[in-house]
Amino acid sequence: MAEQMMDTFAGRALSGKLGEPGWLSGLREEALQFFQSAEIPWLEKTDLRRRGFDWLDGPEARVHEAAKALYDQLDGPKALVVDGVLQFVDAPVEVLEAGVIFGDLHACASKHEKIVQKHLFSAVSHTESKWAAMNAAAFRGGVFLYVPEHVVLDRPVVIIRAQTSVHAGAYPRTLVVGDVQSSGAVTEVFFRAPGTPSKEATTSVVEVIAKADAHWKIGIVDEILDGPAHFHERRAVVDKDASVDWVFASTGDGFAWSSLQTVLKGAGARSTMRILGTSVGRMHHDLTAKMVHQGRSTESDIVMHGVLRGRSNAVFRSCTEIVKGAVDAGSEQHDRMIVLDSSARADAIPMLLIDENDVKRCGHAASVGKIDPIQVYYLMSRGIPEKQALKMIIWGYLEQTVAEMPAPEALRDLLVGRVEKGLVG
Amino acid sequence: MSELKLEIQGLHVAIDGKEIVKGLDLTICGGEIHAIMGPNGTGKSTLASALMGHPRYEVVRGQVLLNGENVLDMSVDERARAGLFLAMQYPAEVSGVSNANFMRQALNAKLGEGHEMPVLKFHRQLQDRMKKLNVDESFADRYLNEGFSGGEKKRNEILQMSMLEPKVAILDEIDSGLDIDALKIVAEGVNTLRSPETGFLIITHYQRLLNYIVPDHVHVMMQGRIVKSGGRELAEYLEAHGYDGLKAELGIEDETVEVGI
Ligand SMILES: Nc1ncnc2c1ncn2[C@@H]1O[C@H](COP(=O)(O)OP(=O)(O)O)[C@@H](O)[C@H]1O
Ligand SMILES: [Mg+2]
Repeated sequence: MAEQMMDTFAGRALSGKLGEPGWLSGLREEALQFFQSAEIPWLEKTDLRRRGFDWLDGPEARVHEAAKALYDQLDGPKALVVDGVLQFVDAPVEVLEAGVIFGDLHACASKHEKIVQKHLFSAVSHTESKWAAMNAAAFRGGVFLYVPEHVVLDRPVVIIRAQTSVHAGAYPRTLVVGDVQSSGAVTEVFFRAPGTPSKEATTSVVEVIAKADAHWKIGIVDEILDGPAHFHERRAVVDKDASVDWVFASTGDGFAWSSLQTVLKGAGARSTMRILGTSVGRMHHDLTAKMVHQGRSTESDIVMHGVLRGRSNAVFRSCTEIVKGAVDAGSEQHDRMIVLDSSARADAIPMLLIDENDVKRCGHAASVGKIDPIQVYYLMSRGIPEKQALKMIIWGYLEQTVAEMPAPEALRDLLVGRVEKGLVG
Repeated sequence: MSELKLEIQGLHVAIDGKEIVKGLDLTICGGEIHAIMGPNGTGKSTLASALMGHPRYEVVRGQVLLNGENVLDMSVDERARAGLFLAMQYPAEVSGVSNANFMRQALNAKLGEGHEMPVLKFHRQLQDRMKKLNVDESFADRYLNEGFSGGEKKRNEILQMSMLEPKVAILDEIDSGLDIDALKIVAEGVNTLRSPETGFLIITHYQRLLNYIVPDHVHVMMQGRIVKSGGRELAEYLEAHGYDGLKAELGIEDETVEVGI
């Protein structure tokens, strides 16, 4: 659908339909106007000439069986969003009694107005970029999680986002606010629908706000399938002595630009990112993992692993920015990409943007290469067939990331299955 | 499967186009221990690697038969499953793959689909072999050879051998980098496996190891060929006279002189 054809599915019109309060309608309208006037950006390693930002607006929500089956297997706090509609949400009584708010972001914008208004768009502004504005104008099926002071969640919260059609549920948004000294984990898992390359765009946003001394682990299990262009912003803002640890996994054959970022705002804030990406077919995946050090004595660590097959192309950037005044920062980057077929192309780009002289430690290592044939020979020399040997070596890189995904067994199995599907055959 | 016979006939092996093994014949039967000795750089590891099927080594001529089957036609993993085992001089390190997982996959590959060893039984067997080889328990969960000392790598090779129970075990300088206690343990591992169904090819630079693993046949390799074969007394002769003594006796000139022939 062309940009000008939208009527009720973005901006003030959508906001009204979802019963959102006036302040949010206003911001959505601003976002829409920004989106409409913003040029299609030029991106260094992602060619948008045959892509676009046309809207996706699909059918009403249907049943997604695989997603529902997973939902039914989970027993912690959980939500199921299908085609942009929050169909099911559930949390144990003791969690709700502790004051945790978990559910429909649109309804919470009125019901818990103060806290939502304060934090929504605070990590990823509604007019930050063409795609961020697109999401702000059109997000549906938004999920909000608020965990009050001192509350510790002992089981991960799982948000399942599924599509039955590539046109539906294309603008998800999640807001997580962990108050002072809270801790827990949230994992968002996607079941996307396959399509064919188009000029449409799907954009998602996750905002995580970790207040002082809060400790959060955030998992993303994404699936980038061929179809519209993907633009994803997942960002955390971390306060004094708080931490956010990301575990991010993506599989698929689609076209994506995505960003994972932590803003280490308070002194002593910490963040880690463990990233796994497999690319098959003609995938294009331009991924930036970025740590922005603003507070004193902040620490960050990025570990990225990419595995490429077929004619896929992946650009993995690890970026550390240390702003002036962020003294005594420590940062480590490790980026390893494995190219299984010579028709695939990988780029590992480490970036350091440092404006402060007083840096405690700052290291980076990046490499792109094939699997070492001598390692394969060694495994084979004990009777292990070549395909299996390759798989073992690749899993050697990926296993820990899967193991650290804050999710129940069923979800990790799903991820293992998706990765395996990309590696064999 | 009582009879075991590995026949190496007229083997020539090249690396990067340069011929290193230049016509080698050797037959190993079940129950026999053969030792190959020789100065550094004479092609001992090249021989071992070619037998296992290392991708960088090219067999130019000759054949290798295991119980009549053409080994050179087999892929590396097929050779291993046929019963060939090479304890490597410089085994690879593989991060992210634990020793235990590696050995279980290897053992199950050998046993074949549907005949896999139950996990518990595997771990019991692994514990047992580790204890016998005086290998630390932490070995099982450590990544394959990653950060292992030279001696640890050698012991790990022997541990793998004792788990896989091959028909023909080729040990390439298993003694280098081992202190005397470790050497005894490694020798014990080999002697335990000794049986009428198993053949050994022990490659070594020094005769020290042969005090603990007593060979039936000793071959001296120089410049890509076996230049002399004998019983264990040959190893003692070498100990006394050195390789130079033997060279003089056989009238072998140094490699540099041979260039251009
Ligand atoms: N990668 C290589 N490229 C070229 N020559 C090699 C290579 N590796 C070994 N060689 C040569 O092959 C010869 C035999 O080596 P090797 O089989 O390792 O000897 P040994 O095990 O008897 O010490 C040596 O002269 C060595 O320099
Ligand atoms: Mg050698």
